[in-house]
Amino acid sequence: MDLLPFLLVQCLNALSQAALLFFLGVGLTLIFGIMRIVNFAHGTFYMLGAFLGYSAARLSGNFWLAMIVGPIIAGGIGAAFEVGLLRPLYRRDDSAFLMVTFGLTLVLGDIIRLLWGVDALQVAVPDAFAGIVFLFDEPFPVYRLFLAGAGVVVAIAIWQFLERTRLGLLIRATSQNAEMVHALGVDVNLVRSGIFGIGCGLAALGGVLAAPLVTASLGMAGNAIIDAFVIVIIGGMGSFLGSLLAAVLVAFVQVFGTYYFPDFALAAMYLLMLLVLVVRPGGLLGKEA
Amino acid sequence: MRGLIIAVIVLAAAPLGLPPFAMTLLTEALILGLLAMSLDLMVGYTRLISFGHAAAYGLGAYTCGDLLLHTTLPLPFAVLAAALASGVIAIGVAWTCTLAKGVSFSMLTLAFAQLLYAVAFKWTAVTGASDGLAGIPRRAGPFGLTVFQTKNGYYYLVLACLLGAYAFCRSLVQSPFGAVLRGIRENEPKTLSLGYNTRLYKIAVVAISFALGGLSGALYSPFAGFANTDLLFWLFSGQVLIMVIVGGKGTLIGPILGAAFFMLLEHVLSLYTESWALFFGLIFIGFVTFAPDGIWGLMRRRARV
Repeated sequence: MDLLPFLLVQCLNALSQAALLFFLGVGLTLIFGIMRIVNFAHGTFYMLGAFLGYSAARLSGNFWLAMIVGPIIAGGIGAAFEVGLLRPLYRRDDSAFLMVTFGLTLVLGDIIRLLWGVDALQVAVPDAFAGIVFLFDEPFPVYRLFLAGAGVVVAIAIWQFLERTRLGLLIRATSQNAEMVHALGVDVNLVRSGIFGIGCGLAALGGVLAAPLVTASLGMAGNAIIDAFVIVIIGGMGSFLGSLLAAVLVAFVQVFGTYYFPDFALAAMYLLMLLVLVVRPGGLLGKEA
Repeated sequence: MRGLIIAVIVLAAAPLGLPPFAMTLLTEALILGLLAMSLDLMVGYTRLISFGHAAAYGLGAYTCGDLLLHTTLPLPFAVLAAALASGVIAIGVAWTCTLAKGVSFSMLTLAFAQLLYAVAFKWTAVTGASDGLAGIPRRAGPFGLTVFQTKNGYYYLVLACLLGAYAFCRSLVQSPFGAVLRGIRENEPKTLSLGYNTRLYKIAVVAISFALGGLSGALYSPFAGFANTDLLFWLFSGQVLIMVIVGGKGTLIGPILGAAFFMLLEHVLSLYTESWALFFGLIFIGFVTFAPDGIWGLMRRRARV
C-alpha cells in the first residue's frame, strides 16, 4: 500500500467524520452565541436524531424523508423545551441552564430508552450510497463520501443563512447585543426559541446521518456531548467558523490518532484541546474567555 | 448547633437500632454525602461548577483499591494516602481547568473526568480495565486493630471521616481563605483587583475538594470491595452535582442531606420503576427552577417562619 493514496483516503475519512462533528458542534455554538447558555442535552438530541431516523426510515422506507423528519421533530422538542423551561431562567446565573439541561438529558434519555428499548438499532445505508468505490485503488465507502459532501453543503448553507438572510442578520445582532435588538422592536424570545430549535435540529441531523455508521444506541449521547464540548472549546464559544475549523481538526486527530496510536487516540483529542487553551484561552476564533 | 449534636448522636446510635441492610445504605449515603460536601466547596462557595467530580471519587477509589491489593498498608493509611494522591493530582487538573472560566471551566472538568475514564479502560495493569478491581480487602491494622473489618466498625470509620471533613470544611469556609472564595463567587475581577491571586485560590480549593472527594472514593472501594469505571462515568459526576443542588449549595450540610435524599429516592424508585432517571431528571429540574436553595433552604425557611 502506497503512502500517498493511503493518506488521501484517510483524509477523506477524516472529512466525513468532520461533517458529523460539525453538525454536532455548530448547533451548540450557535445556541451559546445567542443565549450564553450551554446545552448539556445537545448530545441527547443527537441520539434522539439517530433513533428518530431509524424509525422514520423503517416506517417510510425512505432515508431522505428520515433526514428531514428527524431534525424537525427534534428541533420542535428543543424549541418547546426552551419556551417552557429555559425562558423563566434567563435572569438567573448561567449554571442554572447547565443543570436544567442536564436534567433534560436524564429525562429525554430515559424516554428514548422506554420508546426504543436498550438494544442498539442497525440503520441500513440508503441504497443510493451503499457499496464502495475505489479511490487510488483503495476501497472507500460511498456513504462516507456522501457524508463529507453533506457536511460541505450544510456548512455553506448555514454560512449563507447567517450572512444573507434577514433571520441570519437578527441572529448575529442578537448574539452581539440582545437588548438593543429588543429595543428595535424584535421579539428576541422568538429568535432564541428559533435558534435553540435549529441547534437541536442540526444535532439530530448529525444523529440521523451517523446512525448507519455506528447504529443507534443509548451510549451515543455521552460520547457526543463530550465531542461537542471539545469542538466548541477548541473553536471558541459562539464562533461558527471556529466550530467548522475545530470539527476538521478534531476529526483528523481522531482518524489519524486511531490509526497510528490506537491506545492514545482519545487522549490526543484532549491534548489538542489543552494546547489550544494554553495558547488561546478563548478558543481558536473565540473572544477571550 | 443543637440540631447538629442531635444528628451526630442519632447517627452514632444508628447501628443499635437499624437492621444490617439499612446500615449498608446508610454507610453508602454518608460516603456519598462526603463526596457531595467536597464538591460544595467548589460549587457553592467559589462558583466553580465542576462537571467532573467523579474524577476525584474514582481517583480515590482506584488508588485505595490498588494500595490494599498490592501493598500491605493497613486500611486507614491506605485511605489517607489515596485522599492525598487525589489532592495532589488535582493540582495539575486545576492548573489546566482554571485557564478557562464559567461554562468553559465546567466543560474542561467534564473532559478531564472523561480522560480518566478512558485511561481507566485502557490501563489494565492498574485499573483492571473493564473488569475493574475486585476483591479489595479491608486489611486489619494498624497495631492489630480489626474493628474496621466489621460492618459497624467500618460505618464508624466513615462517620468519623465525614464529621472530621465537615469540621475542616466549616472552619475553612469561615476562615479568611473562605472569605476570598466567596469573593471569587460574588465578583472575581473585584477580588483580583483587591490584590488576591484568584487563580491560586481556585487551584487550592479544587485540590482540597479533590482530596476530600478522593477520601470518599477511598472509603467506597473497601466498603464495596470493588472499583470499576462506573465510578468515573460522566453521569455520576452529574448525579453528584444533583445532590449538591437538591440539598442546597453553599451550606455544606445541604449536600449531605442531598446525597441521603438521592440514595433513598433511588432505592425507593428502583423498587417500583425502571425509569428512575426520568423521575430524577424531573425532580432535579423542579429543584433548579423552583427551589434553587434546595432541601436545606426549604427547611431553614420553614424554621424561620
